[in-house]
Amino acid sequence: MKVPDYYYLPGMEDNSSQNHNGQLDPSGGGNVSNKQNDDGSQRTQYSIPGILHFIQHEWAKFELERSQWEVERAELQARIAFLQGERKGQENVKSDLVRRIKMLEYALKQERAKFHKLKYGTELQQGDMKPPVFDDVVTDAKLEADAPFTSVSNISWRQGRQLLRQYLQEIGYADTILDVRSNRVRSLLGLNNNAECEENLNNSSPAVNGNESSNKRASETQGRRTPAKKTQPSSITEAMILDTEAAVMANFEFLSPDVDMDDDDDMSDDLDDQQDDETDDVKTAKRKNKVRPSVLCCQFGVLTLRIDFQCLMMNEGLADDVDAEAEEVLNELNLLTESEDAQNELRAPGGSPSMGFATSSRRPMGALGDDEGLDSSLGLGELAQLTVNNEAEAAYDQIASSKEAYRKMWNAKYTLRSHFDGVRALAFHPTEPVLITASEDHTLKLWNLQKTVPAKKSASLDVEPLYTFRSHTGPVLCLTMSGTGEQCYSGGLDGLIQCWNLPSPNIDPYDSFDPSVLTGSLVGHTDAVWGLSIHNQRMQLLSCGADGLVCLWSPQNKVPLLSTFSSPDDGQPTSVDFVHNETNQMVTAYNSSHCVIYDLETGKPVTRLETSQAENISQDKQINRVVTHPTLPLTVTAHEDRHIRFFDNVSGKMVHSMVAHLDAVTSLAIDPNGLYLLSGSHDCSIRLWNLDNKTCVQEITAHRKKFDESIYDVAFHPSKPYIASAGADALAKVFV
Amino acid sequence: MKMADGVTMLRRNRPGTKAADFCRWPDQPFEEMESTLVVQQYIQQQICHDPMNVTQILTPPESQDEGVWKYEHLRQFCLELNGLAVRLQAECHPEACTQMTATEQWIFLCAAHKTPKECPAIDYTRHTLDGAACLLNSNKYFPSRVSIKDSSVAKLGSVCRRVYRIFSHAYFHHRAIFDEFENTTYLCRRFTSFVIKVGCADFTLNSSCFRPDRAIHGGSEMIPVKDNEDESCFLVTKHSPWRGKYKRIFSIGTAGVTTYNPTNMEITNRWPYSDFMGALPGPNANHGQVSLA
Repeated sequence: MKVPDYYYLPGMEDNSSQNHNGQLDPSGGGNVSNKQNDDGSQRTQYSIPGILHFIQHEWAKFELERSQWEVERAELQARIAFLQGERKGQENVKSDLVRRIKMLEYALKQERAKFHKLKYGTELQQGDMKPPVFDDVVTDAKLEADAPFTSVSNISWRQGRQLLRQYLQEIGYADTILDVRSNRVRSLLGLNNNAECEENLNNSSPAVNGNESSNKRASETQGRRTPAKKTQPSSITEAMILDTEAAVMANFEFLSPDVDMDDDDDMSDDLDDQQDDETDDVKTAKRKNKVRPSVLCCQFGVLTLRIDFQCLMMNEGLADDVDAEAEEVLNELNLLTESEDAQNELRAPGGSPSMGFATSSRRPMGALGDDEGLDSSLGLGELAQLTVNNEAEAAYDQIASSKEAYRKMWNAKYTLRSHFDGVRALAFHPTEPVLITASEDHTLKLWNLQKTVPAKKSASLDVEPLYTFRSHTGPVLCLTMSGTGEQCYSGGLDGLIQCWNLPSPNIDPYDSFDPSVLTGSLVGHTDAVWGLSIHNQRMQLLSCGADGLVCLWSPQNKVPLLSTFSSPDDGQPTSVDFVHNETNQMVTAYNSSHCVIYDLETGKPVTRLETSQAENISQDKQINRVVTHPTLPLTVTAHEDRHIRFFDNVSGKMVHSMVAHLDAVTSLAIDPNGLYLLSGSHDCSIRLWNLDNKTCVQEITAHRKKFDESIYDVAFHPSKPYIASAGADALAKVFV
Repeated sequence: MKMADGVTMLRRNRPGTKAADFCRWPDQPFEEMESTLVVQQYIQQQICHDPMNVTQILTPPESQDEGVWKYEHLRQFCLELNGLAVRLQAECHPEACTQMTATEQWIFLCAAHKTPKECPAIDYTRHTLDGAACLLNSNKYFPSRVSIKDSSVAKLGSVCRRVYRIFSHAYFHHRAIFDEFENTTYLCRRFTSFVIKVGCADFTLNSSCFRPDRAIHGGSEMIPVKDNEDESCFLVTKHSPWRGKYKRIFSIGTAGVTTYNPTNMEITNRWPYSDFMGALPGPNANHGQVSLA
């Protein structure tokens, strides 16, 4: 904008009035004067009002610019906060990955020992099993008691290291990535937490995570969700970590001469490496962001490897093959982790102590699937199992509390209140943050989690329903959504299965009635429909009803009913699911506690899962829900007698059984990656389980009781980090 | 409660339960219920026991808070009205029933919208039920189902009034559906008795009638088709519990009070004088607030 050099006096009045009217709009004033200039009435005459106006206008301009900068600055700050949050996320992923690798290693060692024993009939001279123990004891003692390094037997230290080195060479696997230093640093930070850990075995109690971790968690979520606010806590935590790490590094420096005296050059190299690594932890933070895709890829790779392992270990008879295959697995792992080599190589020496911890903590991954682990857990009484964690887990916690700090905790965020009676079922949209609930008040409702009602004085947000599906003439009992998110199907007490087209998630809640939402009903059951399951590739639907029938539908067909299965001897079917790792099978659970896998083509039973073995059948062992693992031949059943049981689909044998809740388990969901299991129970709580070791990761009390019922359904979002629960108190809750 | 064999009786509808056995469990005395949803449990148990016994259903247990009792009953009415709405969806088409009417005398406006509008009857039904569901589940007005503020109890009246028109419409325009529904649920009879019994402020009902046409008088959102000449007009702000505040032209006429939308001069509401029970200065009387009842 030009600066008006002069003012045409007769026009002065115009200008000044403009000023008075709109100081905020200097451009307007400027334009006017410019126009006057162009008009050619040119008189170079300064006047006090003119100068005043000019100054005012300049001032306004600067003010405007300044405010723009302010805005920009705020934006950038928000961006920084966001990136910090993202970095935390990366670290999470990384630590998870590290954990998996440790598990793999431990499993390998176990197999190696077993193999050796079988082959030579003697215990292996386990260089690779024992040294880590010494190693670990040494480091732990040093760190926890702050004892000087020299107080520990140097011989055992040396011996341990050499054996370990031998082991590493033997398997030709130097890429162990184990983030022990940051591990220790965090243990130091959370020393009091560790103390608590020893006593309080309940993993899910917030005390385990203590101050430090909850701080971290808070800052993480804040970083992610409300980047503009509170970057402060995160930086404080960061600073704390840095401080402690520095302290530990100093400690190491003080130690290294000792080691030099006792050990060869490699040893000191190691320690140097460790220190480097230490600093690396801090400095590579930014680099980690870039490694992200490969890290993720690794994660999935490791996941499949682990699965392979589980299968392997379940088959004892194949022990001979195990070693060879394990080598193979490790090679694969090498490939997978190559992308991280830069960091990994630095960490390789650090791997040893952690492996030690794996051994020392008495089967920390005891539930990896091998039979001994199963036996021992079966040997425990019910009460012992009722505590959420077993001993090994506690030991694991104590040492690896840093991992706990990384773990995601779920918090209630949305409350869906608009039903008049218990919410029987819920289903998420495959991609959008949208879900549908089905209730005993005869309706289904559609919710968009992005359309919230700002609730005062409350951490959780209320969501108002977008659409109410009315067609059932009785309570709606079950619900499933198609993989495209365009259709959903609901089954009710009225024996009908209704097919719905989903309205747009942006629909006006009070729009006029559109009859095309209801596309039709599947008539076949003569009594209440209790279970539905959809197969997205086959576009087929399974339903089970109190009339004893299991029906297979193809809802698009003219004649939708493809076939029916009935098995009067087994009782009423309660729940059905497609077997996901087989193309043509389904599993049906009955209220007689029977559970059968059928072939869909022939309609013949393939496997009968041994659900009613051994234990006394006098108790009500009705199966309330059955789900199959997305990739493994594994079926999980939720029982009225508080148990969750795991079955191998091929043999039909029970793999694991646990008392999972204080009351009947009503619902199950497996996350899309097959890592976690979510269960809901009439004890008012939902629990999240780690499928690896069958331990409870988190417990949330979510709903209240109506009569003797509380939670009817739980669900994972297929692609977004949401879980949800539906309760008899007419509410549904979504957790993030 | 223990059964003879010592096994605890659990009142559950487990998966696999037949429709006939749904909620078929021995009655539980009110005193033994421990849940926070006791009132709903008790009401549903009574209904399940015998839907015809309206008096029994509407008799509150001793020392029951009246607000909660009304609230839970209204929830139950709205819940069961879904059944009527489902039946109406099949027959009450927007082309046929373009307006929400009962008798020829009144047109009801749908209060679910920012400005009440003449929705077709089926939309009125759906919107009113959806709106009632939102209001009755609102964390703001009804955060607890154990105790309810007096100010929130007052909101129940307007819900009753609107919901009642669904019965009226079905009664006058879809009699077959109404009869079929009524004969299985006795809902309208129960609702009418309920309204008389608890005396929702907006109702001026003669006792002992269950015919829905008697209940539709009173309240807002009705347009009498009678002639009315406006005597004097004022620009006012309406404080609605549903939709917040909005500007209206308020006119006092020969036969009743009318409100108009100042932007398009459409009639939004009209009440005959016979429906008023009184006019009181509102809590901010010095600002010119008036409450009409």
